[in-house]
Amino acid sequence: MKTQLDMDKIARGLGAERRGRVAAQGGYFGAMQLLADIQARFRVPAGGGRATDPSWTERRLLPLAPKTLKKLEEVSARVREHGTNVEPMQLAALLIEKTAERLSEQEAEDLVRPKRRATR
Amino acid sequence: MAKAIRKKAGRGQNVLSGGRKRVLVVLFVPSVERDGTTSIDQQRWVDASLEMFGRVFGGATAYPKAKGVWRDDERGGALVIDEPVVVHCYTTPADIQDDGNLAALGAFCRRMGRETRQGEIGLVVGDEYFAIREFGEE
Repeated sequence: MKTQLDMDKIARGLGAERRGRVAAQGGYFGAMQLLADIQARFRVPAGGGRATDPSWTERRLLPLAPKTLKKLEEVSARVREHGTNVEPMQLAALLIEKTAERLSEQEAEDLVRPKRRATR
Repeated sequence: MAKAIRKKAGRGQNVLSGGRKRVLVVLFVPSVERDGTTSIDQQRWVDASLEMFGRVFGGATAYPKAKGVWRDDERGGALVIDEPVVVHCYTTPADIQDDGNLAALGAFCRRMGRETRQGEIGLVVGDEYFAIREFGEE
């Protein structure tokens, strides 16, 4: 029977963040396989920035309002004060990824539909 | 050659139930600082991690270092060579979820991250990867 571990409690106790599931196996070959898997998926770039996600292969120009960029710069600066090195556009990419995962078709339609002004 | 320390089980182990060591904890001991080029005293940290795992969880095994290479596209495609050592420790569900043991393991990882100037210390518990990125002193 597989024992359930409380991963949130473990993360809190370690002062760590949960990053994802891996297939950990014992023995030398298990150790080497796990290492290769982790280096490919969670590798931290030199300079200590946020781990590069190899699935982020596409690059696009993203037009932003100055106030949005300013907000991203402020938030990423505050995050960096806590020791996590993140750039404003990395933060933007993360926000897009997380929001896109949760966004329903209806919510997308509501976002892009022109807002009607109230008329008397 | 794999190096192992076997010591008496740490606190929190229940001899009659939950005592079987079936949770794998894996720690990655880096070979270089976060700049990817400055070497660290890796052997010292391998020995220190074995000592910590032996004291807290009852034992651990350090495997021979692996050699890896990756291309750092943020630094003009420079190739970074790393030779991490993988340390395996089998423990019990009770011991890995014990507050005192978690605090000891977390404190060790933060000290290693701080003193070897890492961007991140990686740890696997069971089937999940954990990242420790804040290395503030206790």
